[in-house]
Amino acid sequence: MDTGDPQVPAGRRPGRYALLAAAGILTVTAVLTIGVAVANRGGNPTRPDASAAAPAANAPPVPVTRPGELTSGPLMANSPPTRVSIPSLRASAAIVALGLRADGAMQVPDSAADVGWFTRAPTPGALGPAVLAGHVDWKGHRGTFFDLGKLTVGAGITVERQDGGTAMFTVTKVEQYPKDRFPTDEVYGATDHAALRLITCGGEFDDTTRHYRDNVIVYARLAHAHPA
Amino acid sequence: MRMSRALLALPAAALFLAFPGVAHADESVQVQLQDLNETGASGTATLTATSGGDLKVMIRSRGMTPNSPHAQHVHGAANGMDFHCPDKSADTNGNGYVSTEEGLPMYGDIFISLTTTGDTTKASGLAVDRMPKADARGNLSYERTIPASDLPKGTIEHLKDLHLVQHGIDANKNGKYDMEALGESTFAKSIGVNGIPAEATDPATCGMVSGAAAGSVPAGGVATGDGSTSGGSPTMIYTMGGLALLGAAGAVVARRRFAGER
Repeated sequence: MDTGDPQVPAGRRPGRYALLAAAGILTVTAVLTIGVAVANRGGNPTRPDASAAAPAANAPPVPVTRPGELTSGPLMANSPPTRVSIPSLRASAAIVALGLRADGAMQVPDSAADVGWFTRAPTPGALGPAVLAGHVDWKGHRGTFFDLGKLTVGAGITVERQDGGTAMFTVTKVEQYPKDRFPTDEVYGATDHAALRLITCGGEFDDTTRHYRDNVIVYARLAHAHPA
Repeated sequence: MRMSRALLALPAAALFLAFPGVAHADESVQVQLQDLNETGASGTATLTATSGGDLKVMIRSRGMTPNSPHAQHVHGAANGMDFHCPDKSADTNGNGYVSTEEGLPMYGDIFISLTTTGDTTKASGLAVDRMPKADARGNLSYERTIPASDLPKGTIEHLKDLHLVQHGIDANKNGKYDMEALGESTFAKSIGVNGIPAEATDPATCGMVSGAAAGSVPAGGVATGDGSTSGGSPTMIYTMGGLALLGAAGAVVARRRFAGER
């Protein structure tokens, strides 16, 4: 659209139509872009419902430690995870490995769809906290964990493992924390049961840091172990 | 053709690379050391599997026989055998104390000898000169990282199946290990070491796994989002829309100018 070019014969019909078409296309683009942006404002990453933090009446009872045993609930042998599914969110994703970045923070998957397993913590189903992180959004796509904040206590999370076994977890708590007050001990610290933590982003997006201000964290414990 | 083949090969490679060298997860296993022979000894231990496959052992116990060495071992096996810490019912000879031999069927054979220096195999099981000493108040502190090459096969993978046992009790409370209390250690004798008091080899604490944690802890929160969808940076999207509108306006103006010039 070289409007200032004197070589273009003024008033030539194709030029006029091209400009008209360009104006039309740009207007439609503008309306659509702004429209989508406005419409999607209601589609912010879900914030955990305060009521979800309270144990539901039908929440499964906490397994009781057997005499002479210092751990509680079912336990599986070590095996890396291959897939995670959250039926109530209709979410399911392949799992990639996550380590630590040079700055000491956890790596993140480089796709919206994949969920990462933090390899420097226990495997899902085995004793201790297994940690899975997924994007709320990434490079223009909604991530697998977009609706994570909608999960409620008692909901199921299924993790398939490399050994062919399946670990079925039950959500015990869904919380949102500012990243500068991340509950490190609660997420990565010792547990006496096979635990699972799902992490994604939430809260306001900070245009300056280009990051969300909060993390949404789902805490779950192993309810059923299905060995291969 | 070559291109599409390469593309087909990509997911397979990605799958293979998904867990490069991840035979195990880095993790830190917590062990609770409990009094075995009513000596009042207790403690905690942490077994941490490092990413290099080494094993970092940290033990803090108290109520141990003061100023005395305490043989300590990781017991059990890496073959999935289900060992436990014994209780008093393991005292088959009824002398009131569970001896090392009486405990073995329950907690398994010596898997690693937790010496302060040198060899860590079963052969060093009674190398008391290289075992940690409790201080005058009966506190014992031990830390050592055993390199991957010195660990029995399967140690890291079966960390949670193993037990920790610390030996050495002062049954007659005279402040030392002596023959007068419980006689000679038949366990020591059975492995060819004579003249060791049973007090020196009878277990003081036995530790079972009570929990596990991440082996290394990431700093701060997790950057799981770039704001690229609705919930993210509406500003950027509005800017794009605004620019498009400006362009449309420009096109309309340009068209008018053309019309005017005609």
